[in-house]
Amino acid sequence: MGETVLAVSRLQKTIGKKQIIHDITFDVFAGEVFGFLGPNGAGKTTTIRMLVGLAKADGGDIRIGGISLRENFPEAISQVGCIVENPELYKFLTGRENLEQFARMSGGITQERIEEIVRFVDLERAIDDKVKTYSLGMRQRLGIAQALLHRPKILILDEPTNGLDPAGIRELRQFIRRLAEEEGLAVFISSHLLSEIEMMCDRVAIINQGKVISVGLVQELMEQFADQVEWTIPHAHLPKALEVLRGHNAVTDLLTVGEESVRTRMDMERVAEVNQKLVQAGVPVVGIATKTVTLEDLFLTLTGGGGEK
Amino acid sequence: MNQSMLGLVQNETVKLLRRRRFLVVVLILAILIPIFTYAQYRSVVTAQERMGTTDWRPLLTQQIVDMQNRLASSRLPDEWRDFIKIRIQQQQYYLDHDINPMAPGGPTFARGFMDQAISMFLPMIIVVLAVDIVSAEFSEGTIKLLLTRPVRRWKVLTSKYITLLLFTSLTVLMTLILAYLLSGVVFGYSGWDLPILTGFEVSGGELVTSGAFMLPQWQFLLMQYGLGWFVCIVVGTVTFMVSVLIRSAAAGMGIMMAALISGTILTQMASSWESSKYLFVVNLQLTNYLNGTLPPIKGMTLPFSLAVLTIWAVAALIVAYTVFTRRDVTS
Repeated sequence: MGETVLAVSRLQKTIGKKQIIHDITFDVFAGEVFGFLGPNGAGKTTTIRMLVGLAKADGGDIRIGGISLRENFPEAISQVGCIVENPELYKFLTGRENLEQFARMSGGITQERIEEIVRFVDLERAIDDKVKTYSLGMRQRLGIAQALLHRPKILILDEPTNGLDPAGIRELRQFIRRLAEEEGLAVFISSHLLSEIEMMCDRVAIINQGKVISVGLVQELMEQFADQVEWTIPHAHLPKALEVLRGHNAVTDLLTVGEESVRTRMDMERVAEVNQKLVQAGVPVVGIATKTVTLEDLFLTLTGGGGEK
Repeated sequence: MNQSMLGLVQNETVKLLRRRRFLVVVLILAILIPIFTYAQYRSVVTAQERMGTTDWRPLLTQQIVDMQNRLASSRLPDEWRDFIKIRIQQQQYYLDHDINPMAPGGPTFARGFMDQAISMFLPMIIVVLAVDIVSAEFSEGTIKLLLTRPVRRWKVLTSKYITLLLFTSLTVLMTLILAYLLSGVVFGYSGWDLPILTGFEVSGGELVTSGAFMLPQWQFLLMQYGLGWFVCIVVGTVTFMVSVLIRSAAAGMGIMMAALISGTILTQMASSWESSKYLFVVNLQLTNYLNGTLPPIKGMTLPFSLAVLTIWAVAALIVAYTVFTRRDVTS
């Protein structure tokens, strides 16, 4: 795990009389892709706007590379590259002129750096055309070019796959993984699509109604719910069943649900073997249900259906 | 100005030029000035035909007689009576001192053009230049790129304001140059040294000629275009505020046009509503103070108008900076 690049603590935001962001806390480390997952209206974009200085937080603290965004905006934001919503660029300028605009604002960016980043996003042939002639995919790449131009430590992308075709999404996913793994960049991605986060991210924060519900490794969160087997056993035989299950090396986790049911996490291929052991011990197994939980299920469980409290 | 601000102003200049705003302004001037030149030419020709002579003295004498006849009419309102009396005194002064007030020539046309353009035409052109300088960034969404750079918001806004000041100044300069060059094709290019009468004061509805003196036309033009520049800066600054407050360029344009037009109407309604003299749009006709024309509302003087305009500009800047640096950017 790399150094902490982005530290958000107890972030709050009220718009009008409505508190949009209640209490958001998480850290993002160098070299990881961090997912920010929540349904539409959960406060993702509002949070991102605060992270990049477009909106002011009412409470809490945002530190980028250890520097407070509130106290030293220029130095903190110079370590951030971002695309908030769509990559909106100056359509009446060429790609190169756009990059030159941002180069002059950041300072210390050479012509060579511009050439380098243009090659990096593979826009050499179109860079001297006006942006209004670009396709959405090309605009997306130019957007990434402007975000990476000043060599930020963290890249913040708001719903980056919106409007991209499946090929474009795959390309973007590989690109982001490469940035994190090869360049050691921290990448922060918001999304309302679970599959996207599942495929792209190392860690994820799940938010709903302006609160972080859960933060953790995507794998761990998956495992927590995945590969469950639910055993239905008559109440009288339950203690015996628990004893057998605990003693078996295929079973890693065990939970009693209700009066006649035990939920276990275990290797699915060894269900028959465990069942045999139970029967041999004189436990009548009434039912065996296997269940593979996707992040989707997890998400619904955590957010209580996504909508109401 | 430090290095980073220079870069920011360069950015804004590129954007303004590539949005073709300045090109539009120059084109408007280049099309309308020949039209006004032709109109001026026609009126001179018509006057000469009517007089049957190219000598301007009988023409001026005739004008004075015309105005005296109008004075004799009993239906003339008092304020018009005062105004015409002053004009007669002035014309008489020109006649007595052998000065042709309509002496054609590029510089004279440029002088007449600024007189006409200062309250409406030039401000409108400046509105075209300034109205979307901030709001376009919001409506196109590029504000998000602009404000997520290591530059504080007030610096971003300052770079835009400096760019606006530069191009406003350039517009006034272009007006003088184009008015001189284009009208000179018809009227000739001489007349820089023509003596112009100024220094009139209006006191109690009377033209006080005691302080009047002669200025070479080039000096008069310099003063006149200086005042025109000041009016443009003030209108530009107010438009700048509107551009910060209102995201739609069309709405901003509408607001500024309505303000300028109502200013013209209020000026013509004259003294009936005295406190309207504190509105900036009523104070745009600064060149009238040089010409000795009666101000639209009693009590208005050049220092008064300059003060009103300055206060409006400063207030507009305060509002613009406060809103721009504090506002959350939403889509």
